[in-house]
Amino acid sequence: MKTTDLTYSEVNSLVLRMLEPPRKAYFGILFFLLSVVGIGVTAWAYQIFRGMGVTGLNNPVGWGVYITDFVFWVGIAHSGTLISAILYLFRARWRTSIYRSAEAMTVFAVLTAGLFPLIHLGRVWLFYWLFPYPNQRFLWPNFRSPLILDVLAVSTYLTVSSVFFFIGLLPDIAAARDQATGWRKKVYAVLSLGWKGTHRLWHHYGAAYLFFAALATPLVISVHSVVSWDFALSIIPGWHSTIFAPYFVAGAIHSGLAMVLTILIPLRKIFKVEKLITLDNLEAMAKMIILTGLIVGYAYATEFFIAWYSGNQYEYEIFRWRATGDYAAEYWIMVVFNSLIPLLFFVKRIRRSVAWLFALGILINIGMWFERYVIIVTSLAHDFLPYAWGHYKPSLVEFAITLGSFGWFFLLFFSFAKFLPAISIAETKELLPLPVKRGGKRG
Amino acid sequence: MRRRDFIKLLGVASSASVATSCGLTPENSQKLIPYLVPPDREIIPGKGMFLSTTCTECPVHCGISVQVRDKVIQNRHRQVPIKIEGLPGHPINDGRLCIRGQAALHRLYHAERFKQPMRREGDGQFAPISWEEAYQVILQHMAKVKSDQRKIGYLSGRTTGALAELMDSFCTHVGVEKLPEYEPLFPASVVNASFALFGRKELPEYRIDRCDFLLSVGADLLETFGNPVQNSRRIAAQRKKGTFRWVHLEPHVSLTGLNATQRLTPKPDSEWAVIAYLLQRVHQSGRAKKTLPGSVLQEVPQLSIEKVEELTGIPKEKLQHLEESFFASDRPLTIAGGVSTASQNGAFLAALTGLLQWATGQVGATVDYTTAVDYSSVGSAAAMESWLKELDQGRIGVLFISRCNPVGTAPQSWQLHHRLKKADLVVGLADLPDETTALCDIILPVSHSLESWGEVSPRKDVASVLQPVLDPIYETRTEGDILLDLYRLELGAAETVDYREYVQKRWRKASSSRDLPTLMQQGYYSVSAEKRPVRLRETRAANLLRSARPQEKTEAAIVYFPPSLRFYDGRSRRLPLLQEIPDPLSSVSYGRWIAVSVATAKRLGIRDRDELRLGIGEWETQIAARIQPGLPEGVFVVYRDQLDAYPVHHLNPAGEPLSFLSGARLEKTGARVALPILSGSTSDHERGIIAHFKEEKESKHEPQVQMYEPHEHKVYRWAMAIDLEACTGCSACVAACYQENNIPLVGKEEHVRGREMAWIRIEPYYTGEEAEFLPMMCQQCDNAPCEPVCPVYATYHNPEGLNAQIYNRCVGTRYCSNNCPYKARRFNWFDHEWPEPLSWGLNPDVSLRNRGVMEKCTFCVHRIRSAKDAARDEDRLVLDGEVVPACAQTCPADAIVFGNLLDPESRVAKLARSGRAYHVLEELNTQPAVTYLSPHKKEGE
Repeated sequence: MKTTDLTYSEVNSLVLRMLEPPRKAYFGILFFLLSVVGIGVTAWAYQIFRGMGVTGLNNPVGWGVYITDFVFWVGIAHSGTLISAILYLFRARWRTSIYRSAEAMTVFAVLTAGLFPLIHLGRVWLFYWLFPYPNQRFLWPNFRSPLILDVLAVSTYLTVSSVFFFIGLLPDIAAARDQATGWRKKVYAVLSLGWKGTHRLWHHYGAAYLFFAALATPLVISVHSVVSWDFALSIIPGWHSTIFAPYFVAGAIHSGLAMVLTILIPLRKIFKVEKLITLDNLEAMAKMIILTGLIVGYAYATEFFIAWYSGNQYEYEIFRWRATGDYAAEYWIMVVFNSLIPLLFFVKRIRRSVAWLFALGILINIGMWFERYVIIVTSLAHDFLPYAWGHYKPSLVEFAITLGSFGWFFLLFFSFAKFLPAISIAETKELLPLPVKRGGKRG
Repeated sequence: MRRRDFIKLLGVASSASVATSCGLTPENSQKLIPYLVPPDREIIPGKGMFLSTTCTECPVHCGISVQVRDKVIQNRHRQVPIKIEGLPGHPINDGRLCIRGQAALHRLYHAERFKQPMRREGDGQFAPISWEEAYQVILQHMAKVKSDQRKIGYLSGRTTGALAELMDSFCTHVGVEKLPEYEPLFPASVVNASFALFGRKELPEYRIDRCDFLLSVGADLLETFGNPVQNSRRIAAQRKKGTFRWVHLEPHVSLTGLNATQRLTPKPDSEWAVIAYLLQRVHQSGRAKKTLPGSVLQEVPQLSIEKVEELTGIPKEKLQHLEESFFASDRPLTIAGGVSTASQNGAFLAALTGLLQWATGQVGATVDYTTAVDYSSVGSAAAMESWLKELDQGRIGVLFISRCNPVGTAPQSWQLHHRLKKADLVVGLADLPDETTALCDIILPVSHSLESWGEVSPRKDVASVLQPVLDPIYETRTEGDILLDLYRLELGAAETVDYREYVQKRWRKASSSRDLPTLMQQGYYSVSAEKRPVRLRETRAANLLRSARPQEKTEAAIVYFPPSLRFYDGRSRRLPLLQEIPDPLSSVSYGRWIAVSVATAKRLGIRDRDELRLGIGEWETQIAARIQPGLPEGVFVVYRDQLDAYPVHHLNPAGEPLSFLSGARLEKTGARVALPILSGSTSDHERGIIAHFKEEKESKHEPQVQMYEPHEHKVYRWAMAIDLEACTGCSACVAACYQENNIPLVGKEEHVRGREMAWIRIEPYYTGEEAEFLPMMCQQCDNAPCEPVCPVYATYHNPEGLNAQIYNRCVGTRYCSNNCPYKARRFNWFDHEWPEPLSWGLNPDVSLRNRGVMEKCTFCVHRIRSAKDAARDEDRLVLDGEVVPACAQTCPADAIVFGNLLDPESRVAKLARSGRAYHVLEELNTQPAVTYLSPHKKEGE
C-alpha cells in the first residue's frame, strides 16, 4: 500500500487516532518503564552516596560502561537529525512518515546521553563546574579539554534538535488541538503557539524549517566528531587516531538507523499505521544501513592496517590484543554484528521482511554498543606500561543504570507517542495529490 | 533606687559573674589555650619534633628518628609519632630504613593490639583482668611449681642489651630457668661454623664495602640476612665504582639473586660443591693467603670441575668464569646463608665458606668479627628440642613466652599445640595476637618499643638507645617493667626502681662522659668490644667437616620456604601496610601463593591464580599459583610467613631446620583464586622501559617540537633521578610514601579489582631469568598528558615544574588518569576510614582525600614548601639536598636523588646529564622530571 492511496482526512484520522485516550495496557507499560527508570535512579543514588567504587572501574580502566552508554546514546541521536534535516535538504521523500519519530528519538537519546557524563563524575554534585559561567573566582573551564568541547557540542545539539523538533511539530499540534477536548485541548492550544494555518504562516514556517534543517545538518557531523575527540585527542593507543571522527559519525548513523528500525517496527504495528510507515520506508533505511555498515567495516579494517603499517608497537599490540585478548569475544561481537550482519540486507527478501529488519536492527544496536565498549575499555586496559595493564568487569550498578537509561529513553518515547503526533500530518499530506472535488466528495 | 546604689549593685553583680566564670570547671577546662611553653619537650605547633630511638621490627635494630607531632586527640593534646625515618649517623643503618621499619607505626597503632592483661577462661575465651590480678595468678602458680620442685621456664626471642642483663638477673634471683632464646631465622649453620672454626658464636659483619668481588651463596642479603639495609647500601656504593662484580648462587629465586651481577642456580643443596671446588683451587694454584692445615684440607672433597658441573648443574664455562673472577679479585668476599645453609649440606657449606674466607685472607678484612652479632644466647632448633622434652615430662610448670611465636614458626612436627598444654600456666608477653598467644593462659600486653625505654645491642660494639616517643596508648608495660614488678612481688623487695631508671642508670655508667640528652639524641653509644684476633681451630674445623659430610643426592619437586622481604619470619605479617604493598618479585599483595617456574607451569598447564593442592608427605594445603620467571624448573617457593605453621621438621647437623621439602605433589583443583596480582605483565614486551645502553654517551634530552609555548621555570624545576643500577626493588620507598602521604590502605578486595592506591610502586620486568626493578610514580611531566584533558583545571603545571593536583577542584572525570601513559594517578573510589588510633599517625601536612577525587605523587610538595619557607626566612635559595622526599630519604641504596634541575651543580642535574640517563616512554615527548639511569646489563646464567 502506498501513502498516495490515502486522502487528507484519512491521514488526519490515522495519525490522530494514535493520540486517543490510552487504555489499561498503556498504563501497564508506563508503570513498567517507570519501574525500570526507578531501578536506574536507585542505583545512581547508591553510587553517589557510596562512591564510584560501586562500579567495576579501576586503575587503569577509568572509563567503562557509562562512557560507552554516553557514546551509544549520542550515536542513537544521530540518525534522527540525519533523517529529518539532511534527507529533507536532499528532498528524500521517503523520510516523511518516519522523520517525526526519528527526531523524537534524537531528542530523547540526547536527553539520555546527557545524563551519562554526570553519572560517571566522581563528584557529580559539582557538575556545574564544567560549564563556563561567570564567578567571583574567575575560574573558567579548560577549553583545551575535549570534555568541555563535549559539553558544548552536546548542549548545542540538544538545543538545536529540540527546536527543530518543535518547529516541525507546530502544524500537527494545531491539528491535534482542533480535534482534542478537555485539558488536552488547552495544552495543545498553548503548544501550538496560536497556529492558524494561514498562507502567511505556512510561508514563514517553510522558510524557518529549511533554515533549521540547514543549521542542524552540520551538527550531525560535528557532534559525533567532537565526541570522538574525547578519545582521539588523548594519547592512548587505540584512541589516538585521525580516523576517529568519520568513523564515529558513520557508526553513530549506523546505530541510529538500527534504532529507528527497532522503534518504528513495533510502533507501526501497535498503532496500525502500516499505511503511513510502509515497507518501502523501512527498506530504504536498510539500504542506508548497508552503506554505514560498509563504512564501519572499512574503519575496522583501516585501524588494523594502520596499526600494522605504522610500525608503532603500542598501536600494534593493542589491536592484536583486542582481537585475541581478554576482550576478544566483545571484539568479535562488534565486528560480526556491525559489519557482517548488515551485509544480509543485500538480500532483497531479508530487507523487505519486517521480522528480519527488526531482528537485525537489534543485533546492530548490540554490536554498536559493544563497539564503544571495546574501543574504550580495551585501549585503557592495555596501554603503555605493561605493569599497569588491568582488567575491567562491569558491576551490577553499572548494569542497573544502563538498564535505567533504556527505561528512561523508552518512557520518554512512549509518552511522546501518546501525546504528540508521531507521524507528521502536514508533510504526509504534501505527498498526497491535492484534494479536489470529485463526485461531490471532499477529501 | 539611687544612682550610687545602682552603680554599686552593678559593680557587685558584674564582678561576681566575672569571678565565677574564671574558675576551672570541667566544662571549660578543655577550652583552655594549650601551653605556650610545653613542660617536657619543645613542641612547635605545625612542626615535627624528631626523637631518636631504635627499631625493633627485627633483630637488626636500626636507629630511627621518629617524627612526633602535637595533635588534639579526644579533646586532649597528645604528642604522637607520625613517621619513622632512619637515624642519620647510626652505625647500623645510617639514616636509611627498610620496608618493615617504615611500617612499624602500623604495629603501634594496630587495632588488634592487646590492650590490657588477659586471662583465658574455662571456655577458651580471653577475658580482661588487671595487672595486679595477672601478677597474682602468675605468682601463685610460680609458688606452687617451686614447691613441687618443678621448673619455671622463660623463653624469649633474641634479647640483648639492658633487657638481657635484667632477664639474667631476674632468672637467677627468682629461680626461673632462662631457656635458649628462640629466633626462627637464626643462621645456626653459619654461627655453628664460626664457632667451630674460629671459636665465635657470632655472625660476623660482612664488609661488602671493602671487597671487590662478592660471592654470595643463598644468603638473602637484601631481604633478611644480616643487615639488609646496610648490605643494600654497601652494594649500591660498590656498584657506583664500576669494577665491582657480584655472583649469587641460589637454588630458587630471590630479590637478592635478581639483583646480582650474575645469578647462578645450582641444584638444590649442591652449593657446597662450588665452594669446595674454589677452596681446593685456591690451594692448588697457590693463591691462598693463609694455607689451611693438611688435617683440615684432607677433609675437603676433591672435585674435578666436571664433577662440580654434574653435582650442581652449572655449566663448566660458568664455573670457570666464576673461578677466574674469584682469583682475579684482590679481596673476594664469600657469604653463605639463607636457604643454602638451612639445608642438609648447609652445615658443611657454612664450614667450607668459613675456610674459604680464611684461606683468602678475608677473615679480619671483609669478614669482621670485631663488629659481629653475638648469637651465643640463641638456641638452635636442637637446643629447643631438649627443653621440650622436659615440658613433655611435666617438669616445666610455668612457661613465659616473650616476643616470639614458636607455635607459628617452629617445625610443625614439634606439636607445640599439644606440648604447651603440659605446662600449668603459659604466660605470653606479646603485643599482637598470634598462634602462640592463642595458646597462652595469661597474656601480658607488652608496650611497643616506641612507648618504651630500653637498650639493645644490635652488634657487639654498639648499644642502641630506646626512648618512648609517646605515652602508652593502652594499659601496657614494657617487658623490663614486668620483670621488675615480678621480681619485686616475688622477693618482697621494697625496691621501686622502674625500667626507665634501670636503663638510665646503665647509660650513666656506660657513658659517663656524655649527658643523657645528648646520648638520647645520638641514639646509640659504642661499646668496647674485645679485639682478640681470630684464629683457626684446626681440630674442631676438621671434626665439623667430618661430621657434616655432604650427601650427594638429587631430589625432585622441591618446595623452598624462605623468609620474605615483607614479613621477615612472619612477625610482620599482621601489619596492614606490609600486606598492602606487593611483594616485589611476584607483585602479589594480599594472600598466599606458591611460585611456580615458567617451565613447570607450561608443563602442567598452570595459569596465574589457579588453585593448587600442594601436598608433601602428610602435609597438605590449598594455595594459589603464581608463575615466577627466573625460578628453576622443579623448584617451588612458598614464603614461610604465609603458612600458619612451618611444615619442615628435619634438622641438619648444625641443628637448623631445613628450608625446603622435597617430593611435593602438585595438582590443580580446578578452582580459581582471587589473588591480587598487581602487575599486568612481568615482561616489558621489548618496549625499552628498562633501557640498556650499549655505550654511555652524554645524553641530550633536547625538548622536542611542540605546539604550545614551553613552560617557564624561573628559580626551581624540581626533578628526580633514579639509578636503576642501585635500585634493588626493596620497596622501602613505597612504605615510606604510604606513611608520609596518608595514602589509604584499601584491602584485598580492592586490590583484586585493581584499585591499589600506592603513589610509588615497584614494577618488576623480567627478561628471561633476569629482572630489573623500576620504581614508578608521577613523572611530573613538563608536557603532561593529564593537564590539557582536565575540564576544570584540577591538574595544572605549577611554576616550579610540579604537576599539581588540586583535590578541591577535582570533579572526578578520571580523564587525567586515562591519559597518563605512566598510569601514576590514583582515584578515590570510596571514602576511606582511619579508625583510631590509626588516625593518630596521619601526617597533618598532607590533606586527606575524599571519594571522587584523583590523587598522585606530589614530589612531597609539603617538604618542598617547608624547605622554601626555611630558605626564605634566611633570605636564600633552597640548597641542593635540602628537600628530600620520603622515598629518597629512606632508600637504602641511595638510588633516588631529588633536587632543582635549574641548578646545573645540583646532584640531580648532574645525573640527568649522565650518559646513562633516559626517560621512560621518551618517545611520547612528555618530558618527565624523573630521569632514570639505565642499569648495566646483567650477565645472565
